[in-house]
Amino acid sequence: MTHTRNEIILSAEGVGITYDRVILRDVTFQVHNITRPEVYQGQVLSLIGRSGIGKTQLFKILAGMLKPTTGTVRIGLDLHPVQAGEVGIVPQNYLLFRHRTVQQNLGIAMERSEKKRTEAETKEVIKEHSELFQLTEHLAKYPSQLSGGQRQRVSILQQILTGTKTILLDEPFSGLDVLMVDKVIELLVKVSLMDEHNTLIIVSHDVENALAISDTAFILAAQQGEPGATITETIDLIGLGMAWEKDIRQNARFREFTEQIKHKI
Amino acid sequence: MMQWKSIVEPFAKLPRSAVVGLLIAEALVALVLWHLSGDGLIPDPIDVGRSVVKVVTSDAFMENFLASLFLTFKGMGISILIALVISYLSVVPLFKPLADLVVRLRYLTLTGLIFLFTLLTQNGSQLKISLLIFGIVPFFITSLLSIIADIDKQEAELCKTLRMGPWRTLWEVVIVGRLDQVLEVMRQNFAIAWMMITMVEGLSMSEGGLGTMLIKSNKYIDMDTVFALLIIIFLVGLFFDWLLGRLRAWLFPYTSVQTAK
Repeated sequence: MTHTRNEIILSAEGVGITYDRVILRDVTFQVHNITRPEVYQGQVLSLIGRSGIGKTQLFKILAGMLKPTTGTVRIGLDLHPVQAGEVGIVPQNYLLFRHRTVQQNLGIAMERSEKKRTEAETKEVIKEHSELFQLTEHLAKYPSQLSGGQRQRVSILQQILTGTKTILLDEPFSGLDVLMVDKVIELLVKVSLMDEHNTLIIVSHDVENALAISDTAFILAAQQGEPGATITETIDLIGLGMAWEKDIRQNARFREFTEQIKHKI
Repeated sequence: MMQWKSIVEPFAKLPRSAVVGLLIAEALVALVLWHLSGDGLIPDPIDVGRSVVKVVTSDAFMENFLASLFLTFKGMGISILIALVISYLSVVPLFKPLADLVVRLRYLTLTGLIFLFTLLTQNGSQLKISLLIFGIVPFFITSLLSIIADIDKQEAELCKTLRMGPWRTLWEVVIVGRLDQVLEVMRQNFAIAWMMITMVEGLSMSEGGLGTMLIKSNKYIDMDTVFALLIIIFLVGLFFDWLLGRLRAWLFPYTSVQTAK
């Protein structure tokens, strides 16, 4: 599979957070811009760890919402310290403004995007994206009228429309049935292929689905005798020939590999 | 078919017709008990019913009723404005102590402050409105602060990801995002205002009002009229409670839309 790992577009350097005990310790990893010929190939990464390991804390640190006790998260080609608002987040409960319709929730996302648009242009962009995300018929609805899957799609689209290239997704497969998981994976792949610099970071304990969609995965786990969790393993799924394969979950080698990883978290 | 035992079962869901039937039956039982328990001191429900008609059709009623209604709306309007400003500003650290202080003022009894308010105000109308506002605002702010405290922190985080500044976040999440709940607070606190109105009207009777009518009837031990006025005040209160509920559903459709399964 021809590809190149180019410049670093996101890096976590020695990130740690301590409250009454150490939660995260020396979390260090880099995200490279991956390019493939004739494809807008974005990046899909997974931070995999068991429940309660500190994934949510890392999620907030990467989004610039929480200041780590040690270390820095840098983003962009100039690798500047991340600020809140530079990274989109799709929380596990797919939070939206309950008092706004889907159309308004999407419109508000574009109010502060770098590209200035007229009202007509904003409507046009929403219309185009809604078709892509199968939301056209739901634009006039309020969030409480949507199903979980529809809310998730609105939440993802809302972050895309802000113009951000990096989106963090907290447990995107949680509580979904098998059919819905397939649809979410399909959607996330679609998003990753929309722009060369689109970078999706999936924070999840669902090893199988997280690995199935990622090009790189980081295992967040505790090490014996050491306090807190850290990145214990980096998995290059492209190198293993397991990335960008639509039906990878049916592959016996992938299933065996998934089982091995499950024992490591 | 409804099982009779379900009317005494915790969390049992009854059909609408059964709920209405239960309501009518219990109201009838209450009326019968009222009728049987009357020993001359409490007027008979039939006499009170006649008195309600008599009061409502009297020349003075509409003028007094409108006076009470106007005073309540004026007091509610000013109170909600003051309460909203203080509550919204409570998220700014500088104003938090002020909001906390006003919330605690609900434990101050109005009776002891009437003399002070009489000195501070220029006429009876000002006295009534000031007392009403002083009595309502702490309760309004208590309810509004509780709404603000219940806001999910993730909403503010969502605003950050949408690159909103702190003031825009305040506008979107606390002000616009909770307007429906403000109306609900108004609905709940309308009862306090409506209840207080008879008390403050008694302090300055020159402008009339239902409270004035009540005090005069009490003075002459005209218990039929007292009970009739109590029932009118009660029914008007229920009507506005219903009206504000309908207004909320109409103004903020997302509060009553069908939730997706």
